[in-house]
Amino acid sequence: MLQYAVLAPFLTALIVPFLFRYIRAIHTGWLILPIPFGIFAYFLSQLTNISEGHTQLSGIEWVPSLGMNFSFYLDGLSLLFSLLISGIGTLVVLYSIFYLDKNEKLNNFYVFLYIFMGAMLGVVLSDNIYALYLFWELTSISSFLLIGYWYERQASRYGALKSMIITVLGGLSMLGGLILLSIITGTTSIREMIAASDTVLESPYFTGILVLILLGAFTKSAQFPFHIWLPDAMEAPTPVSAFLHSATMVKAGIYLTARLFLLFGGTDIFFVLVTGFGLLTLCWGSYMAVRQTDLKAILAFSTISQLGMIMTMLGFGTKEAAFAAVFHIFNHATFKGSLFMVAGIVDHETGTRDIRRLGGLMTLMPISATLAFFGAFSMAGVPLPIFNGFLSKEMFFQTSLDLETTSTLVASIAPFVPALAVFGSIFTFVYSMYFFFHTFTGETRGQLKVKPHEAPIGMLISPIVLVLFVVIVGLLPNMINEPILTPATAAIYGELPNKHIVFWHGFEPALYMSMIVVALGVILFLTRTKWQSVYNWIPGVLSANKTYDYLYNMQFRVSERTTRTYMTGSIRHYMLYILIFIIGATGVTLFVTDGFVIDTSDLAPISWPEVVVGLVMAIAAIATILMKNRIAAILVLGIVGYGLSLLFVFFRAPDLALTQLIVETVTVALFLLCFYHLPKLDTKKQPVGAKTLNIIVSVSVGVLVTLVAIASHSSKKFETIAHYFIKESHHLGGGNNVVNVILVDMRGLDTLFEITVLGLAALGIYAMIRLRDKGEMD
Amino acid sequence: MEIIMSILAGILFSAGVYLLLQRQLLKIVFGTALLSHGAHLLILTMGKLNRGDPPILEEGIKAYTDPLPQALILTSIVISFGVTSFLLVLAYRAYRTNKTDNMEQLRGSDHD
Amino acid sequence: MTNLIFLPILIPLIAGTMFVFFRKRLPLVRAGTQIVTILNLAVTAFVTYYVLENGTLVLQTGGWDAPYGIILVGDGLAMSLILTTNIIAVAAAFYAPYSLDKGREEFYFYTFFLILIGGVSGAFLTGDIFNLFVFFEVLLMASYGLITLGGTRQQLRESIKYVLLNLFSSILFVTTVAFLYSVTGTVNMAQLSVRVGYVNQTGILTTIGILFFIVFATKGALFPLYFWMPNAYTKPPAVISALFGALLTKVGIYSIIRIFTLIFNGNIDYTHTFFIVLAGFTLIFGVAGALSTNNIKLIIAYNIIPAIGFMIMGVGVFSELSLSGSIYYLIHDMVIKAALFLLVGAVAIVAGTTDLRKISGLIKEFPFLGWMFFIASLVLAGLPPFSGFIGKLQLLQGAFENGHYVVAIVALITSLLILISVMRIFILGFWGEGMDLPQNTRSIRPLYFPISFLLIFSIVLGVGAEWFLPYIQQIGVDLTDPSVYIDAVLKKE
Repeated sequence: MLQYAVLAPFLTALIVPFLFRYIRAIHTGWLILPIPFGIFAYFLSQLTNISEGHTQLSGIEWVPSLGMNFSFYLDGLSLLFSLLISGIGTLVVLYSIFYLDKNEKLNNFYVFLYIFMGAMLGVVLSDNIYALYLFWELTSISSFLLIGYWYERQASRYGALKSMIITVLGGLSMLGGLILLSIITGTTSIREMIAASDTVLESPYFTGILVLILLGAFTKSAQFPFHIWLPDAMEAPTPVSAFLHSATMVKAGIYLTARLFLLFGGTDIFFVLVTGFGLLTLCWGSYMAVRQTDLKAILAFSTISQLGMIMTMLGFGTKEAAFAAVFHIFNHATFKGSLFMVAGIVDHETGTRDIRRLGGLMTLMPISATLAFFGAFSMAGVPLPIFNGFLSKEMFFQTSLDLETTSTLVASIAPFVPALAVFGSIFTFVYSMYFFFHTFTGETRGQLKVKPHEAPIGMLISPIVLVLFVVIVGLLPNMINEPILTPATAAIYGELPNKHIVFWHGFEPALYMSMIVVALGVILFLTRTKWQSVYNWIPGVLSANKTYDYLYNMQFRVSERTTRTYMTGSIRHYMLYILIFIIGATGVTLFVTDGFVIDTSDLAPISWPEVVVGLVMAIAAIATILMKNRIAAILVLGIVGYGLSLLFVFFRAPDLALTQLIVETVTVALFLLCFYHLPKLDTKKQPVGAKTLNIIVSVSVGVLVTLVAIASHSSKKFETIAHYFIKESHHLGGGNNVVNVILVDMRGLDTLFEITVLGLAALGIYAMIRLRDKGEMD
Repeated sequence: MEIIMSILAGILFSAGVYLLLQRQLLKIVFGTALLSHGAHLLILTMGKLNRGDPPILEEGIKAYTDPLPQALILTSIVISFGVTSFLLVLAYRAYRTNKTDNMEQLRGSDHD
Repeated sequence: MTNLIFLPILIPLIAGTMFVFFRKRLPLVRAGTQIVTILNLAVTAFVTYYVLENGTLVLQTGGWDAPYGIILVGDGLAMSLILTTNIIAVAAAFYAPYSLDKGREEFYFYTFFLILIGGVSGAFLTGDIFNLFVFFEVLLMASYGLITLGGTRQQLRESIKYVLLNLFSSILFVTTVAFLYSVTGTVNMAQLSVRVGYVNQTGILTTIGILFFIVFATKGALFPLYFWMPNAYTKPPAVISALFGALLTKVGIYSIIRIFTLIFNGNIDYTHTFFIVLAGFTLIFGVAGALSTNNIKLIIAYNIIPAIGFMIMGVGVFSELSLSGSIYYLIHDMVIKAALFLLVGAVAIVAGTTDLRKISGLIKEFPFLGWMFFIASLVLAGLPPFSGFIGKLQLLQGAFENGHYVVAIVALITSLLILISVMRIFILGFWGEGMDLPQNTRSIRPLYFPISFLLIFSIVLGVGAEWFLPYIQQIGVDLTDPSVYIDAVLKKE
């Protein structure tokens, strides 16, 4: 059944273009809205089953030869994510029907969106690492396409590419880690890997694997310093931001870390990396969110910060922290989803998202304002029982105080954790207030193009539903505890948590931390104009964006520079590279392998006529180089050729001699014919350096050829197959001239294709002469 | 004798390679011709030289030279001939269209 | 049955020769070529299936026993590559009439093309190292004909370099065959394997092996021997670039795979480590080339190089898995490179330029072309579920398993850079504000068929990997055990 849940969105994506083309009267969104809702309903129906501790496994084979299968596994953790994906997916599709006009490229939009939905379900349900990787990259690709939805805009293209580069980089790294894991454990199933966690823990590659996989998780979940793609991803239509870039896709890294928690969790390195980067992200994201002026940018940095917070909790490695992480995953999806949708409504109704131009919308858009109020205050963690965000945030504080300090390393870091948690949360409070008050209260600051009014009810339904969750979960948190949170935590940690969520703990340190956050937050919010200048110098030195842009441009610059350096277009250079490589590789090999041997016991006697001819050839060859006159050069070259045929005569090869004689004559004639038209030989001197290099290279090649030839001749170990030809030539081949018999019979195939080559050469020459480009001289 | 011939082949290769590294097309083509000669000489040398009569069967002859290298050289000579002729015409045509036979002026760029 | 394996060489040879005499009757020649390529594909598919199911077919040409006559060996590796070649041939046969000018068609394009296919098939099939040289010359001569065809200024300029470098490496090839013959006294590859193994691949044999490697690596465009390739491949019309990119360099790679699994397998620590190092450099420098230019054809041409790096990496790692990965990647790359060259050819037709800085917003007018290109980019970058991933995964697994971490990580990073290099074409060329399209260009609609034909095959090769993989893995197993090949060739029935 699970595979159909994953498959359904993909199949829907396939038919969307047809729906869009043939059913123009109805907004395509309506037609496909039932799909995610159906999936949501299905996963809801699994709640009891899973909370009773059962799991579900099903799937289909794909490439079993490589251990690649679409095997899907439903436990508490994947159920939580599946519910979020399909639930928020339904709301987002509903919202998008009002957000995007019928004249938009809806076919593209919904195809990408549904591919994403299927892929995201695939990520959280896959038990097979390769299927996981497939869906993982597919979410990156669909996200790329959705960010680039308005591809005419430069910013969209920039954001799309940036997100893809960073997330695909992480994906590849993760792939490397997963492959190593599969090699160590001998399985491609995550469950079986977890069962073999001892092997992994003892492996020398443990740290390497962890780093590789975390790089995947961190890039996807926008952890510092890889967070930079997320703000630029805000170029996507707002429903996409709400869905992919706050509620689901960016949580894939969180999911992965949680899923592999049983493999890595609890180790020092895991704590240091996950909590370390998480805290850094938490603080940096919330700090940066305050300075943004675009509503969606505030939310983007806020998302970064919240993701950092969840990561931090996973890094703690305690059961309570895992529970808190799960709880916050849920809460964040509700309040951030609703805030994005409100931001989209504001944008839609006012024509701007620039917070400096907004203000006083409360009276014009009361419902939106109410929604924003709940979302923002929940995000801020205001200690009231109607905000679910407070509950999980307080758990965060509590667990940051209760670190299990099993090693000195953890013990030495632990005291800083709560402090940083508070620090980050103060800024969270500030931007939440800023978001709400600056948009909805006070005076209207800028001239808006349109007179804003409340959004149509259809657009409001989705955020209302999400805000209802904010409030209800805030009031009755234990309603989702048993069915959702507990099983999810059990899936991460391997043990059932037993946690009853209560609003009031009494006067405990966590409460004091919350109060510090609120108090300092209020002060900083009210005085923010006074300390805004701090942003002028801190981001300047820390900007990862600049690094990205630098690296991105550098890859082209460096590539271009190196490539241009060696790809000169000069045949002399190319020949030189090749020749030097030949000399180097062959020379070294000959030396290293002791390949050079010389054996003078089996040589033909030296006969003087042959030596004389050879000498003449050598002189002629060198003379070819020195000749200044082209006719003379051609004739001297001819001497080498004729000398060769003379040698063939001496060496008992009459057929060769004859052929060589004819070919040489024709060639010389051809040379004379062609080069009659070519310019005279160049007598300009080459630079001395180049000339020296030429001499060194050519002499080395000659020496090498001689050495290899002598060594080859001295290493004869076998009788050649020629005896057979001599024996059978007359008898089977029917001829006495063995060479001819070989050519036409034993090696007839060579001859057939040698003629083909000649024929092709003739055709090529004919074509070259007859078929000319226009505009050349006659 | 084989060693002398190997050295001769080496000299032919050296001269050929030296010509290949020149700027002028004509010289480069000369170089390829020298290289082919060197290669063919080597093939023959790599069989054993002068160990018997030409491989034409006659009564009463006990030893023949290795016929296989000769067959291979024959094939190779004909192929080189084809390629060299093609190269000559190509060189001529390249000169006519590009109006130079200096290879250093025939470098070109990405976008033409 | 064994005679059938000669058909993939013979059918194109005969057809190509016949078409010489119908130079002016283009409709006939076009249709004839299409029919012949389809026929050849059908025959090859049948023979390949037979070979994969029943084992290697060996044809002793002229009836002369191995190792004395020339033999053709249709084993799984050779046949699957020939099958892939013929798939590309069909696409080219349907692309050419709608993209070439009449002059080129009339001056024997189809003859050169068909004989090229025959030569490539011959090179895959032959079991004789000198005959391999001859087939190389056939396909090179056909490629010389194709690369000069049309005789534009740039074409001739790059052709000269192409011909000279190939001529040089051919001469080196024959010379090296001579060395090998001197030591072993044979040119039959199976017997070479036996004899080289018998003397434990002495130093001089390893040296000769390296010379062979250089010869094939020059044809196969491996670092640092590929300089002649990118510009030469991009100057002729797209369909010719596609044939070159898909087939020519791959014959070099095939030869390396064959020679260094069958014959020179005695000093793996030395030779194959050398390959891994070169593979790493090939990956980096190749993809750097692809990032260095704004010429869309050149971007694709440079992308040939890192793909070669992947394949050589598999040979270097030298395990059953990594060889299977190399071969899978080889097949994948042949198809996708052809598809990409054909795609940028279509882009160049509609945009009137290959300069990426001048192309923008094509997806509005040509959505189908755009999405085909997008998918092709993902296939090229080796993302799942496409064919590149199936090959790459095996290569990476093989590399990690055998402790070659550095090259594996280089390969991972290269994958990303490959994706960037082609995605740039999509983002800048297909996305964007739009451009003034040149008027009166020819319709590219007929080109969609051959392109999608290749793409569909590519996708099937990935999504339906399980249909092919067991065979390819078997080939990987057979390659690590030369006796399979030797027994097939030398044993009497």
